[in-house]
Amino acid sequence: MKELLQKLTQTPGASGYESAIREVIREEISPFVKEIKVDALGNLIARMGEKKANGSRIMVAAHMDEIGVIVTHVEKNGAVRFSNLGSVIPRYLPGSRVKFLNGVRGVIDSDKPEDLAKIQPMNQFFIDVGASSEKDCPVKAGDVAVFDREFADLGQRVASKALDDRSSCALLVEAIKQIKETPHELFLVFSVQEEVTSRGATTAAYGLDVDLGLALDVTPVGNLMGIKMQVDLGKGPAIKVRDVGFIADPGVVNWMVDGAKAIKIPYQMEVLDIGSTDARVMQISKAGMRSGVLSIPCRYVHSPSEMIDMVDYEQGLKLLVHLLSQPVKLR
Amino acid sequence: MEKIEAFLHSLMSSPGLSGFEKPVSEIITQAWQPLTDEISYSPLGSLHALRKAASSEPRPSLMIAAHMDGIGLMVKSFSRGFLRVTQIGGIDPRVLPGQLVTVHGVREITGVVQMIPDRFLPASAAGKAPVYDNLFIDTGLGENELKRVVRIGDIVSFASQPLDMGDGYISGHSLDNRASVAALTVCLEELKHYNLQWDLWCAATVQEEMHLIGAYSSTFHIKPTLGIAVDVTFAQEPGLKDHTTFPLGKGPTIGLGANIHPLLHKRFVETAKEIDMPYAIETMPRSSGTDAMAMQITAAGVPTMVIGIPIRYMHTPYELTTLTDIRRTGRLLAKFITSLEADSLTGLTRKEVA
Repeated sequence: MKELLQKLTQTPGASGYESAIREVIREEISPFVKEIKVDALGNLIARMGEKKANGSRIMVAAHMDEIGVIVTHVEKNGAVRFSNLGSVIPRYLPGSRVKFLNGVRGVIDSDKPEDLAKIQPMNQFFIDVGASSEKDCPVKAGDVAVFDREFADLGQRVASKALDDRSSCALLVEAIKQIKETPHELFLVFSVQEEVTSRGATTAAYGLDVDLGLALDVTPVGNLMGIKMQVDLGKGPAIKVRDVGFIADPGVVNWMVDGAKAIKIPYQMEVLDIGSTDARVMQISKAGMRSGVLSIPCRYVHSPSEMIDMVDYEQGLKLLVHLLSQPVKLR
Repeated sequence: MEKIEAFLHSLMSSPGLSGFEKPVSEIITQAWQPLTDEISYSPLGSLHALRKAASSEPRPSLMIAAHMDGIGLMVKSFSRGFLRVTQIGGIDPRVLPGQLVTVHGVREITGVVQMIPDRFLPASAAGKAPVYDNLFIDTGLGENELKRVVRIGDIVSFASQPLDMGDGYISGHSLDNRASVAALTVCLEELKHYNLQWDLWCAATVQEEMHLIGAYSSTFHIKPTLGIAVDVTFAQEPGLKDHTTFPLGKGPTIGLGANIHPLLHKRFVETAKEIDMPYAIETMPRSSGTDAMAMQITAAGVPTMVIGIPIRYMHTPYELTTLTDIRRTGRLLAKFITSLEADSLTGLTRKEVA
């Protein structure tokens, strides 16, 4: 399981630039699905199963894009100025390394701070790629990079860049491999551009027009840094009740809770006051889609070293396989 | 409905928070069933009631949206034997301390919102308005019993009961936007004895307070020729300027702005004048902040209109308005609908009014 997590997190795929990660995932799932296609925005959409009398048409989405940076201009001295793709948090920037899609690596530092107590805005940071002038700089405006941080196996827990949301991608890949029988027609979507307002899931949901939507994503946790929320690392996958942009369908929430109880795994109820997921746009697609979210608790979300607990991952996988293998009863 | 007051009371006594509208949806279904021809529900729970036109198909359709969801709280975490909460919709935490609330757990329990006393707060927070992190709910239950009855994500609604204040003035929670649901019901009553030229879809939408979620999906389903959102607006109250508010008890407001088709605005003004109804013009240069925002840009686009009912103390446990304005709004809508000819106002583009 960790090998797949390592492979998926270490493959680059900033929002709008998901080609490399898409090919890695395609290779993983191709032997196990009936049909696979890529839509106009770049969503990878796999189809499995035939809808039986007691089955549904279900869309499951895990976003394959990660946050990154894009070059805005290169200064005469070779310093590379950049903007963010997705919510990059400035306080994580100093000392970070990035890797461009063309392989160039660079380190990040900031202009001399006027006030050390304050975090500088994005436009006061630059990437040093080792160039001494604009002319010999190997990157130019429009080039894209992701954070460069290796996968760390900490035993029970793992840390890496892009666990948001490659951990869910890995979960979905493994579920695809494990599901043997399903009464449903499943549309398994590895969506693009979630970090820039869920643009991929918007069009995927519109194109598929299914009965039920499930998004897979990470959720921040409480406790460690004074965030007041109940979800913690290692206490099981989280079932989302709400976030800033989304209130889960109560029937879908109960379906997931009943599933967790049926297979006797621990689970946590999630009420989140920051951020949202693909389910936000899936819910309002066309005439409306009943939707929910299965979350993997994650520390340090949107930092170059995000952290999850393998217990949450393994139990989340069990729950996902169970939910997609059984008829859906929404009460 | 002669007893619009009793109907409004029952609406205001029902929780029906955004995403959890079922209790209020059931009350509205009962009221609208005898007044319409078909009732259906969207996958997200919006209530669609269709009053069919008498004319032959194809015929134009009018959608009137009044959101039925209300604001409230949700359990976010346990703090020993107390509950921490977050908001559903926008609630200024300054109105919360001391309020009685109902926690909808395995069973309904009553609680009271309390805050950390000022003298015990860190210096950075002392002397300032309360924030959610410094508020908690005390239900009187012990820690173990509380965890047995309540689950993270359970909703918490205002326990304030409707107050009759004389002369048709009424106060309580969720007048935003149950006042408009009541107005739409008055409208349906008025239309009982008329044959309509247009199909009329009355939509009690869900989750308006959460990014207009119900209005997007309902409009996509109905695909109306024209759309009207009925929602509450700010009435004059102490400390607010007259030019940003509207007099209470002096009639509905007729919206004007980018979210509104100018010809519909004009027709509503003419209609109000025709029946000698007082009204105010509410300019909405940018967003109307109503379901009409979603209606206007759904599918291939819908010409939209916004009608407002002035209320005081919006998004508090005791909002306040008058039954007079609710009845007037219903009558204005009914008059507009009965004046619709089969071929009038269809195929509107923005060209009609330069």
